[in-house]
Amino acid sequence: MEKKGPEREIRVDEMGLAFAKIMTIFTIVGIVLMVLPAIAYFMGINPYVPLTEAHKYWRLSANDFWLNVTGRKVTGYSWIFDHLDKTDCLSMIGVLILMITPLLSILAGVVKAENRTYRILLLIAALEFIASILVKSLVAVTSGAKKVVKK
Amino acid sequence: MIWWMWVLALFFMTLGIGIVAPIAGVGGGVLFTPLTMAFYPFSTDFIRGAGLVMAMTSALSSAPHFAKKGLANLRILAPVVVVSIIFSILGGIIGLWVTNAFPQGKSYIKIGLGLILFVVFLVYLFSKRVEFPEIRHIDPISEKLDIHGMWYEPSLGKVVEYKTTNLLYALPAFAGVGFIAGMFGLGAGWANVPVLNLVMGAPLKVATSTSMMIITINDAAACWVYMARGAMLAMIIVPSVLGITIGARIGARIAVKSRPKSIKYLVMAIMLFAAVMDIWKGLHGLGLAPPI
Repeated sequence: MEKKGPEREIRVDEMGLAFAKIMTIFTIVGIVLMVLPAIAYFMGINPYVPLTEAHKYWRLSANDFWLNVTGRKVTGYSWIFDHLDKTDCLSMIGVLILMITPLLSILAGVVKAENRTYRILLLIAALEFIASILVKSLVAVTSGAKKVVKK
Repeated sequence: MIWWMWVLALFFMTLGIGIVAPIAGVGGGVLFTPLTMAFYPFSTDFIRGAGLVMAMTSALSSAPHFAKKGLANLRILAPVVVVSIIFSILGGIIGLWVTNAFPQGKSYIKIGLGLILFVVFLVYLFSKRVEFPEIRHIDPISEKLDIHGMWYEPSLGKVVEYKTTNLLYALPAFAGVGFIAGMFGLGAGWANVPVLNLVMGAPLKVATSTSMMIITINDAAACWVYMARGAMLAMIIVPSVLGITIGARIGARIAVKSRPKSIKYLVMAIMLFAAVMDIWKGLHGLGLAPPI
């Protein structure tokens, strides 16, 4: 879109624009992939957790919710990937895309960075983001598993 | 109440939050989580999961718009997130340890957090130059990184150029913010804005806009724990995200045109609200106050 009046004088870094462009694209993709299956879900088409079941147990903690609805606790991402034919689980793929969008945007910034310092800084940030995902997933899975064992 | 009425109510509430959040430079979680906990029947696990996804989507929807306008600045973000992400990982691990080892530890931390927020609120209340801070000296690191930017300020009718400073002091502050964000699963927009504005001297609009960029990263990193624990339900997340997305697009446009002074008051109001909520919840956790 062409800038008007004094806005024409503004110079924005290429890396900032690349970051914004990738973020815009993947946010739209993520939202669309989240919303389309959700529409089918709200219409009652092929759900993993039926709407009435969700309504019945949404007051319970996540652990108790899944125990009541499916008979087992959730520890990891298999509850999504093992049920991609179910509309509510498919909707979570859109959420997962939103969750990796900042990482993809940082990587776009790395590619377009004007100097080595910013390239290195953004690359470190991207690696830390990946480490954060791994650590947090591991913590969630292992602590969830411990709770199952305790029970 | 029938289930679809809750879903509809959730949509309209998040639509309102979406309009306010980008103007204040917060992801919206700081408003969504306490309001939903107070008025909706969902478990806190699902509320925190939905709050994070909603705040992340709000930030993802508005940050690119700010970046294109020159308000959200990747030059500021790059050194800041390198420090904040690593400390958010540490915060997440220690937070889990504190919760398991000391059942009331989180309550004390929440009270401390509320008090810190209250002090920041007072600083905002009495500081004179936060909308367009005057920078007299630029530190060597900021100089070396050449942190600068510009945007067109409609309320002044001109292009405003700016630089930032005090990166050496800001980095430990962001380490602390990252640590708290990781520990509580927050985007921490309420803390990003004062550090960017009061410590680094970024103009308030730049601080609120760049804060949205930081929130996208902090919240996205925090979401993975909730997803892996199944604390995300399409039934709660989708109406929240739709509401916040539509609202944030309206809010981002208002934020660019709005007067910086109105943003200052909004940030202060949200800060005070969050401070009261944190202190109250901390006291409730210790059995010294009734539930909210």
